[in-house]
Amino acid sequence: MIHPGGKTIPLKPDQLEPRGQTVEMMLERLSQAVVLRDCKTVSRLTEKMVKEGLDLFEILNHGLIPGMLEASERFRKGEFFIPELLMSSRALKIGIGILRPFIQEIRKDVLGKVVIGTVKFDLHDIGKNLVIILLEGNGFEIIDLGVDVPPEKFIKEVEKNGAQILAMSSLLTSTMSWMKFTIELLQASGMHQRVKTMVGGAPVTPIFAKNIGADAYCREATSAPSVAKKLLEIEANAARTFVK
Amino acid sequence: MSCSFLPSFGKILLILLDLSSFFIYDLLTMGIRNSTKECLIKGKKNPKLLIFGCAVIEQELQQFQNGQTEFKFLDYGLHRTPENMAKALQMEIDQANGKDYDGIVLGYGLCSNGIVGIHSEKHTLIVPRIHDCITLFLGSPESYNEQAAKHPGTYYLTPGWVEKGQTPISKYESYARSYDEETARWVLHEEMKYYTRIALIDTGVYPIESYRNIGQQNAEFLGIGYEELHGSPQLFHELVCGPWEKGFLIIGKGTPIQQEMFLDL
Repeated sequence: MIHPGGKTIPLKPDQLEPRGQTVEMMLERLSQAVVLRDCKTVSRLTEKMVKEGLDLFEILNHGLIPGMLEASERFRKGEFFIPELLMSSRALKIGIGILRPFIQEIRKDVLGKVVIGTVKFDLHDIGKNLVIILLEGNGFEIIDLGVDVPPEKFIKEVEKNGAQILAMSSLLTSTMSWMKFTIELLQASGMHQRVKTMVGGAPVTPIFAKNIGADAYCREATSAPSVAKKLLEIEANAARTFVK
Repeated sequence: MSCSFLPSFGKILLILLDLSSFFIYDLLTMGIRNSTKECLIKGKKNPKLLIFGCAVIEQELQQFQNGQTEFKFLDYGLHRTPENMAKALQMEIDQANGKDYDGIVLGYGLCSNGIVGIHSEKHTLIVPRIHDCITLFLGSPESYNEQAAKHPGTYYLTPGWVEKGQTPISKYESYARSYDEETARWVLHEEMKYYTRIALIDTGVYPIESYRNIGQQNAEFLGIGYEELHGSPQLFHELVCGPWEKGFLIIGKGTPIQQEMFLDL
C-alpha cells in the first residue's frame, strides 16, 4: 500500500519570506508550514515573528493553531493519516516551544491547573497530547495522568493538585462511558462545585457530553484552550489575566 | 398487535419498532431450528435479506450464505473516516429502496459513530448492538469486555485484517515508503507504544497456521506478547440467519441510528 499522505514538501525560503509581506501573509505561511509538517519553517517563521515583535497570541491563535486545525480536519476527512497528524503536532509543538518562554515572561502565573488523561481501558493519546501542547502553550499548568486512567485516580489527582479543570479523552465508543463514571465520582466527592469537567475525543458528541453532565465539550483539540478559558471565565484574548 | 406479544427488548426497541411492518414480528420471534447453515424463520423460510458488511468480515459472513441473502461488502478503509462510512452506507441503503427486502442487516457495529444517522425510508434495519468488529469476531460483547479488561493494550488481528495489510509491520513499511525510516519508527512508536500483545483471532474460516507466522512476526517486531484467541461464528451466524433477539437493534423505517442506542448509560 502506498501511503497516500505523501512526503513533506518544505517551502522554499523565497516562497516563505518575500519582501513586503503583511502580517496576515506571514501568519498564513506559518499556518501552512504546520499543515505541511515543515518543522524547520515553523521554527524559522515563529522566531522571526517573535523577533519582529508580533503579538505572541496572534502568532499562536492565528498562525500555529489554524494550521493544526486544518491538519486535524484533513485527518477527519481521510486526506491525512496518523503520520501526517503526528508530524503536524510535532511542528506545532516546536512553534509553541519557541513562544512559551516569552509568554511566561509576560504571564508570571498560570491560567489554571488542568488534570488530564485518557479514560480507563483506552490507550489512545495522540489527541490528548495535542490538547496538552495547546493548553500549556496558552499558559495552563498540566498534570498529565497518561492513558488507561481509572476514575479514582482522576479524582485523587484533582484533589491533590487543587486543579480547576478535569479533562478527559477517549477514542473508543466502548470506553466513553468511563467519562460518565469519573464525573459521577467527582460529584460524589463534592468537588464538582469548584472543578469543571471537559471531554473530547473522536467519538464524543455534544449530546453525549451533555448527557453525562460534563461542563464542556471539545469537538477538536484545537478548541481546548478557548473552551478551558471559557470554563474559568477568562477572557478569550486576555493575555494578562491571571487566576490564583 | 399488542406489545405484549413482543419479546422484551427494552423500552428503546419498542419505540423504534415500526409495528405496522408486520413481517418484523415474524423476524423477531423466529429461532434457529438447528445448527446447520439453513436459516429457518417462523412463518417464513429464508426471508429475503440484504446484508451490508465491511470487507474484513466477508469470508466469515459468506459461510452462512443460504442462496436467498444478498451480500454487499464495502471498503474496509471506511472505518478510519466515520463520516465517510455513514455516507457510503446511506447511499447503499437508499439504492435498496427500489427493491423489496424483508429487512436490511448491517454487519457493522457502532464503528466510531460510522453508522450514526443512517436510516432506511423503506426497510427495517437490523443492527448488532456492538461497538466494532472485534466483538463480531469474538462472538459476544461479554467476550470482548473480558479481553479488554484483561489486556486493554491488545492489537487484534484476524486473517481478514491481515489480508488488507493492516498489521503493524505493514503500517511501518507504508510509513517508511512515504517518509524516512526514522520518521516511520517514531510514528509507529507513537501509535503503538502502549500495546502489550498481538492477539490473532481464529475465526474458523481461514487456515490459521498461514497467519500464525505473521502474527508472531508482528509481535516480535514490536517486542510484545503474542496470543491466539478462539473466535466464534455465533454473531456472524445470527447476522445472516437471525433470530436477532438479544443484542440486536431492530430499527423501524425512517428512524435514524443514534449513538445512545449502543451505550449503557
